[in-house]
Amino acid sequence: MKPPYPPSDYAAGADSLPFGLRVGKEFVESVGRLVSAIGGFLLLQSLRLITRTGEVTSLLLRILGRLPWVIRNPGLFIQQVVRVGVSSLPLIAVISVFIGAVTAIQANYQFRGLIPDTYLGTAVCKFVIIESGPVITALVLAGRVGSAIAAEIGTMKEKEELDAMVVLDLDPLRYLAMPRILAGLVTFPLLVIVSDFLAVVGGFLVATQILNITSATYAYGLRFLFDTYDVWVGFLKAFVFGGIVATMGYYHGLKAGSGAKGVGQASMKSVVASSVLILIADFLIVYVVY
Amino acid sequence: MSSTETFWDLSSDPRPRPQNGPQSPLIELRGLKKRFGAQQVLRDVHLNVNKGETMVIIGTSGGGKSVILKHCIGLLQPDGGEVIVDGKVISSPTHIDVKTIRKRMGMLFQGAALFDSMNVGENIKFALREHNRQLSESQLNEIVAEKLSMINLSPDIRFKMPSELSGGMKKRLGLARVIALNPEIILYDEPTTGLDPVTSDVINDLILEMQHKLGVTSIVVTHDMVSAYKVANRMSMLYEGRIIFVGTPDELRATNNPYVQQFIRGQRKLLGDVD
Repeated sequence: MKPPYPPSDYAAGADSLPFGLRVGKEFVESVGRLVSAIGGFLLLQSLRLITRTGEVTSLLLRILGRLPWVIRNPGLFIQQVVRVGVSSLPLIAVISVFIGAVTAIQANYQFRGLIPDTYLGTAVCKFVIIESGPVITALVLAGRVGSAIAAEIGTMKEKEELDAMVVLDLDPLRYLAMPRILAGLVTFPLLVIVSDFLAVVGGFLVATQILNITSATYAYGLRFLFDTYDVWVGFLKAFVFGGIVATMGYYHGLKAGSGAKGVGQASMKSVVASSVLILIADFLIVYVVY
Repeated sequence: MSSTETFWDLSSDPRPRPQNGPQSPLIELRGLKKRFGAQQVLRDVHLNVNKGETMVIIGTSGGGKSVILKHCIGLLQPDGGEVIVDGKVISSPTHIDVKTIRKRMGMLFQGAALFDSMNVGENIKFALREHNRQLSESQLNEIVAEKLSMINLSPDIRFKMPSELSGGMKKRLGLARVIALNPEIILYDEPTTGLDPVTSDVINDLILEMQHKLGVTSIVVTHDMVSAYKVANRMSMLYEGRIIFVGTPDELRATNNPYVQQFIRGQRKLLGDVD
């Protein structure tokens, strides 16, 4: 058999193993290097994750320790409530109506020939209150509010405004972070109430105008199996998600690199981290409470 | 001791830690070291700033001058060495004295660092209101008007946003915000960078006024030699992480230190170097 390597390789005596063993050895070495690289990467990422978790936890605790100061500066908190809550209302309204509408159409399609139309309102109500209301609202607000907080804090850091606050003996955690986190904790549940209501209205419009279901049937379905416990779970989720979005926004703003690129990346990281944490927190809450 | 000091003289300085007194420096940097990643920015910085004087620190861009200022006001903690202000070590990990000392200090940042979300009046009033809750809104407005007039700005601009101001006005407003809290020490980070020569001179005059009228001790970081000569009582030069020269402006001009001469003449090569 003709050897696969030029004769000079053999002549050099680089490897005296038979061809099969040599290939096997190289394969094992390659796998070893790959496993080593993956292991090193995973170890590094794990260490980074642990470090960031520690940093975020420490930051959050320090911010929560400043909550009583809201009495001294209620204006800063109200300003953030307007920015986070009131300004987000039109977006939340549009999205919620369509979530309700899509849910109604999907439920009708899944139920067709199997489940009576009576339960269409039940499906919309359950899905919206427990899941889509808090989760989709939070994901949308992670893009709108979290990224805005990260960009604002990142720009303030870049322009030395945070240093200026420290020099003027104005605690940035008290004057910047706390009002934003508190506004997130308070306004997300309020926005979820609006979102739930408008999604139910969206489902109602589709049910009565497109699917030819009577309003009485839809309303019966809404009340059927309705449980206030689900509403509280939705509020709990919104509360937690509000904290996640605002904290991630502030944290990544503080960590922003220099220049437009640094601020842009901080916004992006804030949205990605918030989205992942929202879905993880959603799973944990559902797992614990149901 | 000669008024011209070099870092190697000070590194073996056996003097005890200064106590409050007329002969003690108000700000003392002892063996300051700072590293950012792989870059050793400050290697062994020794510098004394006496009460009531204006010390100008010159040096190349990115050489660590602003880093020194940030250590002086406790925004950065050194990797080694000490920052002593009025006899108190503010660079210790416990930070016990840093907040107390910081209340006696102010800093004018390179970009003025105005709060973009607040108008001119609020920029000045914000810290004032938080630290003096007993002041009424009318009293605060009076202080704003007074500080604006001190820096030759009309009180009418107090409703303008920072984005509507020119670079020179922003710097002046930054200074108004600093002096509103009546600091004993003001740190200036590149106060004339990016300004035209006439506006730079206005800022230089304001720095001198702060010294003469308010008696403040100042550290000015700059690479603008016109400004440096005008405002300095003493000058120092930072080179490769060390203070290589301290002296009066006349001594600086006369020194035969090749690095200082290269810098003040704006030459690419050291004196005596040939291609």
